[in-house]
Parts: sequence; C-alpha cells; structure tokens
Amino acid sequence: MTIKAIGLSTIRSGRTILHPTDLVIEPGKRVGLVGPSGSGKSTLGHALVDRLRTQGQSVAHVPQSPDEALDPLRSMAFHWREATRAAKMASDPAKQQALFAALGIEGGNLRTRPWSWSRGMQQRFVIAMALIGTPALLVMDEPTSALDPVIAADTMDLLDSYLKNRQTALLLITHDLGLAAHRVARLMVMEDGRIVEDAPIEQILSTPKTSVAKALSAHRNWNELPC
Amino acid sequence: MAIEDVSFSLAPNQTLAVVGESGAGKSTIINAILGLVPCSSGQVTWNNAPVPHCRPALVMQEPRSAFNPRLSLRRSVMEPLVARRITVDPTRLEKLCDGLEISTDLLERRPAQISIGQAQRVGILRALIAAPPLVLFDEPLSALDAITQKHTARMIAELQRAEGFAALIVTHDLGYAATYSDQIAVLRAGRIEELTCARTFVEAPQTKYGRRLRDAAFALGALERAA
Repeated sequence: MTIKAIGLSTIRSGRTILHPTDLVIEPGKRVGLVGPSGSGKSTLGHALVDRLRTQGQSVAHVPQSPDEALDPLRSMAFHWREATRAAKMASDPAKQQALFAALGIEGGNLRTRPWSWSRGMQQRFVIAMALIGTPALLVMDEPTSALDPVIAADTMDLLDSYLKNRQTALLLITHDLGLAAHRVARLMVMEDGRIVEDAPIEQILSTPKTSVAKALSAHRNWNELPC
Repeated sequence: MAIEDVSFSLAPNQTLAVVGESGAGKSTIINAILGLVPCSSGQVTWNNAPVPHCRPALVMQEPRSAFNPRLSLRRSVMEPLVARRITVDPTRLEKLCDGLEISTDLLERRPAQISIGQAQRVGILRALIAAPPLVLFDEPLSALDAITQKHTARMIAELQRAEGFAALIVTHDLGYAATYSDQIAVLRAGRIEELTCARTFVEAPQTKYGRRLRDAAFALGALERAA
C-alpha cells in the first residue's frame, strides 16, 4: 500500500517545528530522511507515525531513544507480547529466538524490566519488536546511535535481509548521510522544519542543490578530511 | 570494567585513539590516568611524575550536563583557574574563543541556552584554558551531528597544533580515529589487542576483531574504501 500523508505539521509552544509537509512513499521503497540536529527529522517521523496509525495503517516505529518505546515498570516479556499483538501476529518462540540471536540479545532476561538491560540491548530489543510483523512502513530513527560499530553494522545487515522480499517501506531517519548512502534509493533532506530537497540518492550525492545537502554530502564520511 | 596489562606512551603533539566496544574498558583507561580509580598494579606517569601532577584536562561526552546549569558558561570556563588560583593572560581566552568559534556573548549564557555543538566547544575551551600538557577526550563527538562532528574534529586538531598538547581520545568512531590520530589502540575485554599507526590500521588490521571494527566503519559509511 502506498504511504500517503498530506499536510503534516507540528507546532510546539507557539513555535513551528514542522511546516506543512506532504509525504508519499511507494510500497516497499527505502527512503532516507537526513538533516542536521534540530532540523525536525524526528518530529516529522512522529507526525507521520501518528497520522498513519489514526488512518489504521500498519506502521512500526523505532524511536531514537528506547526510553520512548519501553515502559520502565513493565517487563521485557510484556513489551514483547504487546508488540506481537500490535503486529497481529501469533506468538512464535522460534522466530523470537532467531531475531534475538541475529541481534545478539539472546542473553537478555525477558522477566526483568528495561533498566536492567544495557542501553544498546534496549535499542536492539526495540528494533526486534519492530521486525515481528510485516507493516506497510518501518520508521527507524537513528537506529544505530546507541550501538557499537560492529553491532550497528550487523543490525543494518539484518535490516537489509528483513526488507528483502517484503513489501514493507522504510523511512530511515539519520543525521549521517554516510549511513543512509548505500541503503536507501531516495533521500529527503530537512532543514528548519522543511523538506528542502527530495531526490534519488545518487543525485544528491553527486549534485546536491541546497547548501545543507551540500554540507551533508561533503561530510558523509571522514575520507576527504586532512590527516 | 577492569583493564589489564594496558601499556602505551604518548608524546606532546601526539594523538592516541582508543577504540573498542562498550564495556571494553575505554573509560576506565581515562579514569585510571586521572587517578579516579586506583591501579592495582602498574603506573601512569608524565615526565616521570604521576600524571595528576601535570594537571591533565578532560572533555566529557555529554557536553551540556558537563556544566553547572545555574552558572554562566564564562564562570564555568574560569572555574579551573579560580580553583587553582592561577591567572592567564586575558588574550588567551580570546585566542581560544577565536579558534573554537565561540562569540563572547555566548559565554554569558547558561548551558540550557545553547546548542549541543556549542556546548561541546565550550567544554573544549574549559579543558584548554589552563594550558594542560595532556587532554583526555571521552567520546567528544558522539552527541554531535555528522556535520558538526567534522567541524569540531578539525578545530581540536588545529588547537592541538597551536598548543602542542598530547591527546588521548576515546571514541567508537573509527573514521574519526583513523583521520585524526597518530596511533590507534584497539581495546577488547580490558586488554589492548592491537596498537598501531592509524594508517596501517585502516589498511591492514592485525587482529580478527580489528578487522571487524574496520569493516564495520566501511559498512556504516564512516569510512569509504579507497577506489
């Protein structure tokens, strides 16, 4: 199903964080949303998820911080059951085992509460919850920010194999164009609460139009910098 | 986290990056150097005297929470001088502010009133104000966005060239470590697995874990393979 959200906007304490934005994502397409800190990326992600949920569309959201996803007073097992129900899936211990093993969190005790898990493990648990079912859209907000590089790379590989052969579209939100560069087909660039550029990734990497896209592209890795 | 049999040497104007997974003991190295955790064996010296005698400085990971929220940034920056009853040439503050692109009116604000990127630059200013011969950086860029990271890394390098301090940088970002340090120490489970020149490390890591780290940096787009 095509993801469509018209006129998303967010105003907080009288300040416009997100100017009216229309968003269309084709089924199964991978889209990156990049921009500097404070440009409104996460706000757009939240607004989109809220809109799609009220429209009754299936959407899985991995927020930037696991604190947003996990209730400190509930056990991890409770969260898992809740996510399974939300994805309209039957409980499947073998699949759960496989997901946990792929993310390297098979050692986590599900009977404990979030705070007895490390930050990185919480983040991976939230990613696992998002991958239980097959939603129309998966929104991942800085999914690797709390992870060590080796684990982060493994996690992105898992995401790749999950998306293969599925009709799930991906919105990958990150400040790091290097992370998005090889993983998305289309890129949206945000600045001051607006999408200022929206084009195929190759085009933005080779000929960025706006100054913010130029800066993101030039700083997408450390290679070009003097030693 | 315990560390064992960790040895390295660092000269003025030189940078050592310590990389490795969470829980490997990266921050413990910093704490041991500062004397915040006692060493059960071995010693940490600077010019044959215990390191605390040389008054090393520390730049912390979370720039905003590293400042007293009730004080103006200027007072926080001056605190190391007041505490040690030393005075510095007022032009020194000016010179450092110039190098870090900090305007003087920024220093009149409190931590909550500035961006994280600005706060980290003020954190660096506070560390350098008393001209320490050794500066320890604990994940100095991890709270910053991709563009600000590169900008800040360059400022640190330029200040190091001007001031000549030795730098020890704990980071999980191999791209940063490879670009801006002379040596890289790969720490795993409290031991140094590999200690090599940064260039050599990127081209040919000596250990299996070193290779995984390097490949993760490629996979995550922190470094791009040479064509």
